[in-house]
Amino acid sequence: MQASTVQPVFKLELNHKVTPGIVTIAKYDGIHSCLTASAGYDKIIIHHPHGAVISGRVQRSQAHGEVSELNLSQAVIALAAGAIKPDIARDMLLIGSPNQILAYDVHDNSDIFFKEASDGVNVIVVGHFGKYNEKLVIIGGNSSVMALNWQGVEQFWNVVGGKVCSMITFDFDKDGENELLIGCEDSYIKVLKNNQFVMELAETGPVICLSQISDVRFAYGLANGTIGIYEEGIRLWRVKSKQNSVSLQWSSENLASCWANGRIDWRDGTGRVVRRVQMRSNAAAMMLADYRCVGAPDLICVSDKGEVLGYPLIQENVSLNATSKRFPSEEDRLAITELLNKKQALLVELQHYEANSSSTANDDIERPSTAMPTNTRLQVAIAADSEENCLQLVISTNNDTLVRTAMVLAEGIFESGETLARHPHSNQLKSILYIPLKPPRDVPVDVHIKALVGYPDSEQFHIFEITKQLPRFSMYTIIVSPSIMKTPIESHVTFRITERVQRICIWLNQNFLLDEEVELENEDTKDLHISFLCLRDMCRLEIEYSADGQVKMSTSDIRLAGDLVQSLAIYLNLTDLQSTARFPEAEEKLRAEMSIVSEVGETRYRLAAETAEKAQLITALLPAAQDAAAYDLKEMLNRYKEVILLNEELLLNCHIRRATQEQAVTSLKNLHTILQQAARLRVGKYSKAVVTACRKAVNDNNVEALVKILQVGDT
Amino acid sequence: MDYDLARIDYTLCGITYPDSLKILPATEHKSQQKFVVGDKNGVLQCLSIKDEEPLVQFKTLPGKSITSVQLASSSGNNAEKIFAASGNEVKGYTRKGKVFLSIETSVAETITSMCVFGSDLVLCSGRTVTFYRELQEIYCYMCDDRVLDAVAFTTPNNIKVRLLVLIANKEAIIIENGSLYKRTYIAAGPTRITVPSCLHATEICVFYGGADGSIGVIFYEESILSSKCLVEGCCLGSVMCVGWFNNSSGTHLAVGRHDGSIQLYLINTENLKEKPRLKFTYFCGEPVTSVYGGCIGTEEPELLATTFSGRIFGLRSRRLVSGNVPTSNTKTVDAFVTRRSKLENEVARLEKQVANERDKYQRNTRSIYPGISAPPLLDIQYELSGATSNSWQEVKIISAVALDMLFIYCENKLDLQTDSAAVLSLCSAQEATHPELLATVRCQAGTRRLWLRMRTVSSAETQVEGTRVLIYVLPAGAPRVARLIKLHLPTLPHYSKYEPIEVEEKNSCWCELRVSGGFSVAEMTAWLSEALPGELPRPANNVAFARSHTILGTSLICRYQRGLAVFKSDNISTIAVLKDVISNCCVKRNIRADISCDIPDDYCIISFQNIKDKFKMEYDKNKDIEIKKAIRSLDLNEISINEETQKLLCKDYLQIFKKSDEDAETNFHDLIEAVKNWYLDWCKLSLNIQYNNDITILQNALKECLLEDITEILSKH
Repeated sequence: MQASTVQPVFKLELNHKVTPGIVTIAKYDGIHSCLTASAGYDKIIIHHPHGAVISGRVQRSQAHGEVSELNLSQAVIALAAGAIKPDIARDMLLIGSPNQILAYDVHDNSDIFFKEASDGVNVIVVGHFGKYNEKLVIIGGNSSVMALNWQGVEQFWNVVGGKVCSMITFDFDKDGENELLIGCEDSYIKVLKNNQFVMELAETGPVICLSQISDVRFAYGLANGTIGIYEEGIRLWRVKSKQNSVSLQWSSENLASCWANGRIDWRDGTGRVVRRVQMRSNAAAMMLADYRCVGAPDLICVSDKGEVLGYPLIQENVSLNATSKRFPSEEDRLAITELLNKKQALLVELQHYEANSSSTANDDIERPSTAMPTNTRLQVAIAADSEENCLQLVISTNNDTLVRTAMVLAEGIFESGETLARHPHSNQLKSILYIPLKPPRDVPVDVHIKALVGYPDSEQFHIFEITKQLPRFSMYTIIVSPSIMKTPIESHVTFRITERVQRICIWLNQNFLLDEEVELENEDTKDLHISFLCLRDMCRLEIEYSADGQVKMSTSDIRLAGDLVQSLAIYLNLTDLQSTARFPEAEEKLRAEMSIVSEVGETRYRLAAETAEKAQLITALLPAAQDAAAYDLKEMLNRYKEVILLNEELLLNCHIRRATQEQAVTSLKNLHTILQQAARLRVGKYSKAVVTACRKAVNDNNVEALVKILQVGDT
Repeated sequence: MDYDLARIDYTLCGITYPDSLKILPATEHKSQQKFVVGDKNGVLQCLSIKDEEPLVQFKTLPGKSITSVQLASSSGNNAEKIFAASGNEVKGYTRKGKVFLSIETSVAETITSMCVFGSDLVLCSGRTVTFYRELQEIYCYMCDDRVLDAVAFTTPNNIKVRLLVLIANKEAIIIENGSLYKRTYIAAGPTRITVPSCLHATEICVFYGGADGSIGVIFYEESILSSKCLVEGCCLGSVMCVGWFNNSSGTHLAVGRHDGSIQLYLINTENLKEKPRLKFTYFCGEPVTSVYGGCIGTEEPELLATTFSGRIFGLRSRRLVSGNVPTSNTKTVDAFVTRRSKLENEVARLEKQVANERDKYQRNTRSIYPGISAPPLLDIQYELSGATSNSWQEVKIISAVALDMLFIYCENKLDLQTDSAAVLSLCSAQEATHPELLATVRCQAGTRRLWLRMRTVSSAETQVEGTRVLIYVLPAGAPRVARLIKLHLPTLPHYSKYEPIEVEEKNSCWCELRVSGGFSVAEMTAWLSEALPGELPRPANNVAFARSHTILGTSLICRYQRGLAVFKSDNISTIAVLKDVISNCCVKRNIRADISCDIPDDYCIISFQNIKDKFKMEYDKNKDIEIKKAIRSLDLNEISINEETQKLLCKDYLQIFKKSDEDAETNFHDLIEAVKNWYLDWCKLSLNIQYNNDITILQNALKECLLEDITEILSKH
């Protein structure tokens, strides 16, 4: 593979370390771009090469003349900037700390708003969303998203399935209004429109970066090293690397990707690397900005040691090769190399066939150990195995050849790595091989199988490749014997639809792994009752459809119920669906978490007050001890002892505070998970109503209302 | 980097072996040079380049693989002759392609390298160097190990011929009249040598490229054969070929490496021992088998290279490639356009042909009367190295076709590492109780070379048998077959360093293992190959060789003949392992053998005294590294550390912190483990009672580097 390199157009040193990911570029005076980054725990640095006068809380750095420092008393988790104030073109800096968000006007040195974020702050974006006229500040927390306006007033709130890792505002459905794309830790890219989730794109790992690349396309990067591009919900391409992507940007018809190890590569429309460069240390961020004030944005790459490199979007030398009648250029040479590559590959393949036919011509001679009958074929089947609690992938050949080894390539379904392999002991070689699969999530999975077929003493094996798709609910197997169906399942969700039973059958056949397709006994059958067994934990799932359109899904797992409702709704094209639910376990948990959340909130304030008090005492005692050193050593010792004691107490307090904080975060997360699951039992406006009602009930600390919402939705 | 050279692809040939491309000297009326190349299919072709288009001057029919191509040295009357070795044959061709000489030599193995010197012919094959004069065999010298390369020189009085020979045991020797004249040991492990053209005929001075990627000179001055390393390996692959490149700025040594790098070093012809200056580096992505300079495509010198898979390309100055100079020569432009379209047509035709054949092949899979699918073996070469300082053993795999995946299987747990460009994924074990390794390595598109490093996790269970590793290599394109590579990781992987047998005279505390019984030399060789890495000497009446440990520096001397084997080592653990290996082999083969050990009573203490300095050094180094780690985790700012006014770190710590990261590896823990094992093995072999208490005291003393306590325990009995 040939890839040319690029030279940067500018290069500068910040002389400060930069925390990866916490970097932004803003125009605090409305004209000049300033690079703003977190330089360690609570320090923010602002680079102002264009001499913008900065005063107030911001102090000039000793390490670099063009850099100013801003110290906060809290850790900096996220940075963002945007012109949120109506009628003012200046960018405001938004600083996210573990529990709060601060909007700060750097130019005027004034705070705009300050807001508690009980669910934590992971990502902040500024942008237009939906019908809101003004730019919103959208905050992604541990299990929720919240939008604020410039005054810090909450505009909307919603729950998501996991920690929010990345967000962008993007017109996903091309209606002229932006939707919010949320990349979550639970491996989904979710599309929030009008405060209601309209689409979920299942990915294979936590989604750590998202970036808009055109009106219809966006790029994504996962924590397992995958990057790719989506267009209208369809993935165009993806590639996987060992490194994680720090940032993706669109640069002159190429996708520029900045990897954690400091490599930057440009990929063309198919994901092939066109150019690459390597920074001297690990990467911290990459952004598009007009940092040179030339009227066109550059790609600005920042390393964690504070090195900043700028690359132009368009390569200047491209224009040289415009005419056709000219001396052959380097690109043409590459084309020749590429052609020869192709020729070489073809020649190798041809040689293989020729050698093969010459060996078939005289097949009286003893068979070489690598040979095998040409009509060997590989058969693959998937069956549920309720004894081993898994799906068995069965691979077999149709003759006496053996399956020496088989590899299954799929993402997100194995405990470790991206492959599962079976290599039987040499005395257990058979022409059939079983591979157990345990998909942990209910999503459709493509499994790619490579099997090596030959004889025990072969030096070379034939490769057979097959791709199989596992349907979404493949881990649920149908129960044939009705003996264990006696006990009724308490938990269930019911709703009413106006659809023929045949359509339900098709949905079942498509989404479940069934040995035989579900068919109706005769044309007049109007109802359906079917039972499944979950291979993971052996619990039951029952789906009933009665003639009047009533659907009842009984399962103890509220998440599964939600998945089923969503899947069915998408299949039947339902825009809105209201349902009633009864999940005693979830309700119990909801009560428990709610009590913890409110309890923890109270203790937190008490602890904070205590800590502040003791800290004040220490600050008084310490100079006293130092003074004592001058006249009475004994007294000094005593005072220092006190300081030590207090310090220990303070430390202990700190540990307790941290523990309660952690507890609060987990509880809140659990709570949000249940609320999300409750929302997923409904579709469309009913789902949205559940979220809104829940938010209100949580704020009012009204547990019974929450349980009611879970049961019947918002009525 | 000074030169700006760009790649121009000329043509393809079959798989090439190292040093099988040569550039013919320029004739009087033409300055553009022709070149010859021989490949694995046995085709020798002579090509010239006109307007970037290769023109075949002559081409032989396929036959036995050509393993070496040489031109007659410039002196003598046959300067224009081409010699090609295949198997044990050597053929001579004229410039026109006429065979004027064909001899079948008596060498038993394939000729891997040869040298033509006047009317003399030197052939290297297996362990022998054979000298021919006027096509008559004069002598045949048997070396201790495989012969890698040889060059010939005349003696000052111009009567005799001296041969400088490189041997795989890292030795360079001079042979005169069929007997050993001088020898020297070169730690870098030279693989290829070349003689600078500026040399006086009687001087002996050659440049070598080493297995560790380094470059150096070997010279014979004042009756001493010695060597000097000029350029360190610095993480580049092992050298596969060396050649010369002359241009207006001087003479350059061209180096082609296993990792696909091609480098040019400017040599000071006045003083060859001066450090050469690196002028150019290019990565072509697959192992380079030959690299030479000459005027190939234009009047200006360029670099010509071949790769393992059979690519032949030139590296010429960029201004000649992408003409930023206004060109009046429209002929070149037209030629280029026709060349490109010709190539495109050819590829299209091939595509069609391949599609036909593919169809035919696939039709066969559905027929009722099955034929047989017997694809030829994939062209894959691999090489397993001995263990390096961290016990990693590296296997290098090169392939003629692009690779897709590797699947690695081992019955024992292994640690694995691979190329940074490949994705290593460990699979969960097949059965929970069985400690297996199943791993896949997914390669980047176009990968043709790959390295894997592995080491055994727990040596205890694998001591006797060695570890067998299966690697299935899956190519990216057709043919859809996977080749199986079987590797054997020996039980004593560290004994990869060859030593002269004289190491026995070293003042050390030797333990001896004596085995007598009804075994043959061949059997003993086979048994030892379970334990030792690398190639062993071929069975002969009396075999004797020495190796040393890469970390501890301890030696192992093996002497064996029919029915008797004696092993000496100053490492008691080695003797203990060997004893287990051999007795296990004897039992398996049902051979009765008497095994006895001779262990000195004061072994432990003397051996420890020998490594004491090293131990102390490693202890200090380990401490430094730990301190550095601690300082680093403070996350100090570079600037604040260097600040003169506010000193954050004391002097000592600052010094440690500023130390480079390069030597941030220590063998301290290996050393502790080794000394502990010495003590345990000593107790076992000399039938002393071992006190559990002692071993914990010893271990703690070792950890804290309490030299007195250690000495006390070790000299207790």
